[in-house]
Amino acid sequence: MANENQIVGDTFKVGYRFQRYWDTSMAAAFFCCELGAGLFLLSQYFDFALGMLVGLLFAGVGKPYFHLAHMGVPSRAWRAMLRPDRSWISRGLIGIMFFVGAGVAYLLEFQFGFLTGIFGEATGGFFYQVALVISFAAGVLVMAYQGFAMAHSSSFALWNTGLMPISSIAYAVTAGLASILVLGWGALAPETSKMLVNFTLVMLLVDLCVVMSLLHGAFHGTTGGRQSVDLLLKGVYATPFIGLVIAVGIALPALVLWLAGSSYAAVLLAAVSILAGFFTYRVLVFKAALYEPIISFKPRTANI
Amino acid sequence: MTNPSPTANSIKSGRWVRSTCKMCLHSCSNMIHVTDDGIINKIEGDPTNPSNNGKLCPKGNSAILRHYDPRRFKEPLKRTNPEKGPGIDPKWEPISWDEAFEITAREIKKSLDEDPRKILPSLEDFQKMHIWFWPLAIGCHNFYQSGGTMCGGAYHPMNGYIHSAFGCANDAKYCNYWINNGTGDGFSSHLHAAAQSNWVAKARIDRGMRVVSVEPRLSIGSAKADEWVPIRPATDRHFALGMSHVLVNEGLCDFDFLRKDSNAPYLVGPDGYFVRDTEKQIYVWDSKDNCAKLWNDPTLENDNLALEGNYTVNGVECRPAFQVYKDILAECSPEEMEKITTVPAETTRRIAREFSEAAKIGQTIKIEDGRTVPLRPAAYNYYRGAQGRKLGAQTNQAFKLVNMLIGNIDTPGGHMGVTIDDGQVDNNHVEMGECGQMLGTPHQLGHMPEFAYPTNEYHLASHFPNGVNAPHLNLLVHENREYWGVEFTPDVIVNCHSNPVWSIQGPREKWVKFLKDMRFIVCVDVVPNEMTDFADVILPSSDVLETWNCTMIEPPHTEGQCFRQPATDPIYNTKSEEEIFYELSERLGCLEAYNSVINMILGFEQKPELQLDLDKKYTDREIARRKGLLWNGKDIDWYMEHGHSVTERRLDKWYRPWEGMRLNFYIEDMLKERDGLKAKMEAMKTPYINDWPFDDFQPLPTARLDTLHTLPEEYNLYAITFKDIQLNFGESLSNPWIRDIVFRDPVHTGLLINTATAAKMGFEAGDVVKVESPYGHLYGRLQTTEGMHPDAIGVSNALSRTKSENTYVAMSGGHFNDMLPYDMENTDAASGQPETTTKVKLTKLDDWPDFLKQGGSIYDFVDELETKKGKGGQH
Amino acid sequence: MKRGMVFDLRRCIGCNACVVACKQENSLPDGVFFTKTLSEEYGVYPAANRVYIPTLCNHCEDAPCEKVCPSGATYTRDDGIVMVDDALCIGCGTCAVACPYDQRSQMDADNLKDGMYGGGNLTEFEKDGYGRWTPGTVTKCDFCSQRVDVGLEPACVVTCPTDARIFGDLDDPNSAPNKLIRERGGQPALAEKNTKPKVYYVD
Ligand SMILES: Nc1nc2c(c(=O)[nH]1)N[C@H]1C(S)=C(S)[C@@H](COP(=O)(O)OP(=O)(O)OC[C@H]3O[C@@H](n4cnc5c(=O)[nH]c(N)nc54)[C@H](O)[C@@H]3O)O[C@H]1N2
Ligand SMILES: Nc1nc2c(c(=O)[nH]1)N[C@H]1C(S)=C(S)[C@@H](COP(=O)(O)OP(=O)(O)OC[C@H]3O[C@@H](n4cnc5c(=O)[nH]c(N)nc54)[C@H](O)[C@@H]3O)O[C@H]1N2
Ligand code: SF4
Ligand code: SF4
Ligand code: SF4
Ligand code: SF4
Ligand code: SF4
Ligand SMILES: [Mo]
Repeated sequence: MANENQIVGDTFKVGYRFQRYWDTSMAAAFFCCELGAGLFLLSQYFDFALGMLVGLLFAGVGKPYFHLAHMGVPSRAWRAMLRPDRSWISRGLIGIMFFVGAGVAYLLEFQFGFLTGIFGEATGGFFYQVALVISFAAGVLVMAYQGFAMAHSSSFALWNTGLMPISSIAYAVTAGLASILVLGWGALAPETSKMLVNFTLVMLLVDLCVVMSLLHGAFHGTTGGRQSVDLLLKGVYATPFIGLVIAVGIALPALVLWLAGSSYAAVLLAAVSILAGFFTYRVLVFKAALYEPIISFKPRTANI
Repeated sequence: MTNPSPTANSIKSGRWVRSTCKMCLHSCSNMIHVTDDGIINKIEGDPTNPSNNGKLCPKGNSAILRHYDPRRFKEPLKRTNPEKGPGIDPKWEPISWDEAFEITAREIKKSLDEDPRKILPSLEDFQKMHIWFWPLAIGCHNFYQSGGTMCGGAYHPMNGYIHSAFGCANDAKYCNYWINNGTGDGFSSHLHAAAQSNWVAKARIDRGMRVVSVEPRLSIGSAKADEWVPIRPATDRHFALGMSHVLVNEGLCDFDFLRKDSNAPYLVGPDGYFVRDTEKQIYVWDSKDNCAKLWNDPTLENDNLALEGNYTVNGVECRPAFQVYKDILAECSPEEMEKITTVPAETTRRIAREFSEAAKIGQTIKIEDGRTVPLRPAAYNYYRGAQGRKLGAQTNQAFKLVNMLIGNIDTPGGHMGVTIDDGQVDNNHVEMGECGQMLGTPHQLGHMPEFAYPTNEYHLASHFPNGVNAPHLNLLVHENREYWGVEFTPDVIVNCHSNPVWSIQGPREKWVKFLKDMRFIVCVDVVPNEMTDFADVILPSSDVLETWNCTMIEPPHTEGQCFRQPATDPIYNTKSEEEIFYELSERLGCLEAYNSVINMILGFEQKPELQLDLDKKYTDREIARRKGLLWNGKDIDWYMEHGHSVTERRLDKWYRPWEGMRLNFYIEDMLKERDGLKAKMEAMKTPYINDWPFDDFQPLPTARLDTLHTLPEEYNLYAITFKDIQLNFGESLSNPWIRDIVFRDPVHTGLLINTATAAKMGFEAGDVVKVESPYGHLYGRLQTTEGMHPDAIGVSNALSRTKSENTYVAMSGGHFNDMLPYDMENTDAASGQPETTTKVKLTKLDDWPDFLKQGGSIYDFVDELETKKGKGGQH
Repeated sequence: MKRGMVFDLRRCIGCNACVVACKQENSLPDGVFFTKTLSEEYGVYPAANRVYIPTLCNHCEDAPCEKVCPSGATYTRDDGIVMVDDALCIGCGTCAVACPYDQRSQMDADNLKDGMYGGGNLTEFEKDGYGRWTPGTVTKCDFCSQRVDVGLEPACVVTCPTDARIFGDLDDPNSAPNKLIRERGGQPALAEKNTKPKVYYVD
């Protein structure tokens, strides 16, 4: 029964316990949010309306849907905004509202001249600028806040690192790139697409570095962190992690884009595998997080 | 943000009722909270009872769910499916109470009229002796319940011989060195677990009492001990003999005590009997005058009583009893005993020396009643695990003698006799016996019936002059009726508050057959269990929160009555056991006899005004009222307010109540009982006289090995079982809160085997195995641990419930008791105590046997907990 | 006033009476525990031993659970008890992932509905008590705030057969817990998490 590395489930043994409050639907919410913000911001930059629309749908519909699905008492969801002074969840929620609100306004003006149509050229133009700034700023926040929320948890070495928000942004951008490449194929200028392919290649490298640094940090952080890394690299989650997150999510698209970045089929394949890898990553960082054994007095007293 | 109305249960608007727990057989005082809506929503300990001091164990805390258990029997039931057996639906049909009594009385009467011996009673409510003894009212001495099966067979008689008491305990108030041998006393089981762990924790922490635990298993007590001494199972007597060897040979004994307060100086002749003069007075040796004198010779001085030496008195060669023991111990050096116990000789020596030193031999203490008595703050405690042996009587005595050698019997800090129900305040439990000796009272629950061949009791009770009943022998006799010469066939079982098909040893298959051979079985119970699967009629009993009672059931440091009163009216159509047995008695025409039995058993005879009228039926309330009155003259209103009349034990009854008498160091009565029995067997030409194990009767313990050690070598592990504080036998497992905590505790989720042993035998943690003894088998999953003796495998009682109608109770892979013998080779003739350990072999299986593949087993539940899924996510 | 608790590991016998008393006091459904006593075996035979370690919410002074709670449901009382207001909690679980001690429990809707015996067959006890919980909220031990407000000790403390749970005012240097912490070197769990627990262990 004495097992140093015991994961103890719901038993009354001292040992490591799985994080089990943030589940797959929470992962889906994170995924939608980050993908949506990344796609929107890139589309905004490249004046690509369809991308903006899809990005807003992910962040404004997908994310709330999955988040509510996860929430214990969804009818009280609005209460989540009450403590922006201290809670990243509140900040993020407010950020999303601003992001979606400003993003929609921006898109409507961009596509239909909506703001100038109502407010006239000058005022409408001003609002357009405001919407641009707010949607951009809120978009960045939305990309990053979940990373901040996780980094804030001192429970899990895997999460409790400044790399968490960076990984959120990195993945958000990568996912955004993958999506805009697919959605914008043909619509965007070929050289833009080419540039985006290269950018994606760079981001995949960044993602790989960030993920590896995360694991490295966790491994050397706490014993629980080491166990989490073991779970991802050697344990029950090794197959999805190495297979989906690293091979399918990073290596495969990098190879495909590098060798055949000019073919739509290749880009489509790369994008699908990037998103699959990203989603798996989101799920696995939840699943592999372990609470440390609450206490151990073994070394102190021989006879208790 | 304060809540206007409380949501915490204990402070909701309602009332508190002072009552008594009965989630085990003991009786901690509690307070039951009933809301204004009549819901029982909180139970706490009653801090005014000095025994449990406001504490409750987890079982005591769980009584609410027993009360509200949806599987409770809610009305009388009649079986409509004639086929019986584990897991077979009895197809119960609800019937009226009148019909239920009608059927039951009619069916009992059918057999009773033919021969009262055809009734097998199994009545086991320790808190209600008056129900326990109901069979006397129908003139029946059969006994099918398990009380004594595992625990008390030899233990109670030996406590009777040494303390003239029912139980025993160490005096936690002063003890500083506590040897804990095969018992959870003070930690997890035995007497009033919640109360005693409170007393013992105080001693351990506040006073620094040292605890040494001698056990094959790292039990709770061992884990809390300062030292865990792992021992090979079923060899504890040899450990005690090794300790005694050191005490005796290194002169570490309380010789003053042995000379003055015991019969150790009495001279023993070659036949084992004391050497007597023509007036039957016993000789001792005066070492100053160098001659034999009678024990009561006025010229004798204690200091001059010889304890050692060989003498000749009136031509008879003799030795003081102490010398007899010393000669036995000559072959019991710690080195010799190590070969049997595996306890290193130096450990035994050290413990013996520490024990004697801690005993402060020679010191006295002035106690509050003004007496100055010896202070011996070291004591050796033991119970079921250590003493449930084939040679149980000798084993118990060996432990007692370790205590006696340091003079700690009934002494502050020492080893105490604990009486059961004293009846009334003024009673003393000690009487003077022959030649200055205290009268040994091995029959703490009343005398055994007169010997008869052919037997009058299906379990051969009359063959055990010292014993507590040995119900496992029912099966022995049943299987070979000609051999035992029985002339009657029991065919009716009256079962109340008992689960014999779980608790008695021997293979379940055979017991199932035994039960199927019965014509009629009635069960008085609260919830379904393995036994009710065989019932023809269920008479549903009201539970502990709905009824009245008054009991004193071996509280270790306290005395007095614990009172039970209803916190609510019965929530279903149930009745108290009293009402049920009165009604049956009336219908069977034995009401008067029953009332006389109660008058005797509960001691109402002592006060004419409390005597029951023989022709009346009484309620549980009235019986409880009279018991309270008998104890301290207080009427029921007083008890309803106070909940108990418990005080610390009065010093005159607790410390050396036998002052001026000599304790039985040497139990000559053993030989008298042996020879008396032999003579009767001879006179009645009992055919099995030559096979009867008369050798088991010994006046002093010997180093003879218990039978199980001689099993064939292929059985290479000793299998042991254990209760723990969450478990009342296995019974509390029907309670969700108990299930919640038990199966999260790794000790109760697999067969415990030493890690190195498993590796050596080629097993791993998680292996599914078949565990086989020569008598039976079980299946289970191995759990490796550093906390087991390498020769042992441990099976928690939590892994012992088998398939029954109570589907809430998770099924285990069989039952430990299936692997235990039920023969005379493994039964102590000197007490009726059966062997409770066996030897087994393990076989690894590729998969669970079919009956465990259907889910719903303990192992499925444990798997679920160990891989607990989070909300929405899978882990 | 700063309420706190000390666990005396030498006393605790791992009986889990505390667990049942708590479940009883707080009408907790299946699978929910505000306190657990864990066990851990260590050493190698025959020098092996087992220690029993009671756990509950540490009522951290620097409570991460409170800091991350987006709804304000988790707050700290003046006497130091970290509270969860069931009526405000949205069940987002952020507190649960923030608590390094895994001391938060979600009130599972199915368990509240099914009851301990399953199949929606709620006992009278459950019918009476489950009403206090909103399905889906994430809650925890509140040091029996309602009991202590009327001068009673927490339910788990009262029942503990060995007096292994010592409750009192950590602001009072002479309180029972403070004395123990001083005399026997009390230490909190996972001190490195800097949450400043008000629950200490002595061994
Ligand atoms: N909590 C609780 N308390 C109870 C009861 C209960 O069911 N639950 N039942 C009551 C009754 S009727 C009784 S008889 C008593 C019994 O009380 P105990 O005798 O204290 O209880 P057990 O657990 O049966 O056995 C004690 C210990 O013996 C160990 N053991 C097994 N085999 C051996 C051996 O060969 N040698 C040694 N040294 N130890 C061995 C077991 O591991 C176990 O820890 O408890 C009473 N009190
Ligand atoms: N394997 C193994 N076998 C053992 C033991 C062991 O430790 N391990 N222990 C042995 C010992 S020491 C003993 S004393 C025996 C005990 O053996 P039993 O006395 O048969 O013990 P229980 O299993 O508790 O059975 C008592 C039954 O009473 C019922 N009951 C509970 N409350 C009430 C009530 O208020 N009224 C009525 N009418 N019924 C009620 C319950 O359904 C319970 O099943 O078992 C012995 N057998
Ligand atoms: S020891 Fe027995 S009587 Fe005391 S609280 Fe526990 S179950 Fe009740
Ligand atoms: S132990 Fe956990 S739940 Fe309790 S106050 Fe600390 S962080 Fe919050
Ligand atoms: S689950 Fe409830 S208490 Fe916890 S952080 Fe969310 S709102 Fe706050
Ligand atoms: S203090 Fe109260 S709520 Fe907290 S664990 Fe103890 S009984 Fe439960
Ligand atoms: S009730 Fe006391 S002794 Fe029992 S597990 Fe809880 S803290 Fe330990
Ligand atoms: Mo027993």
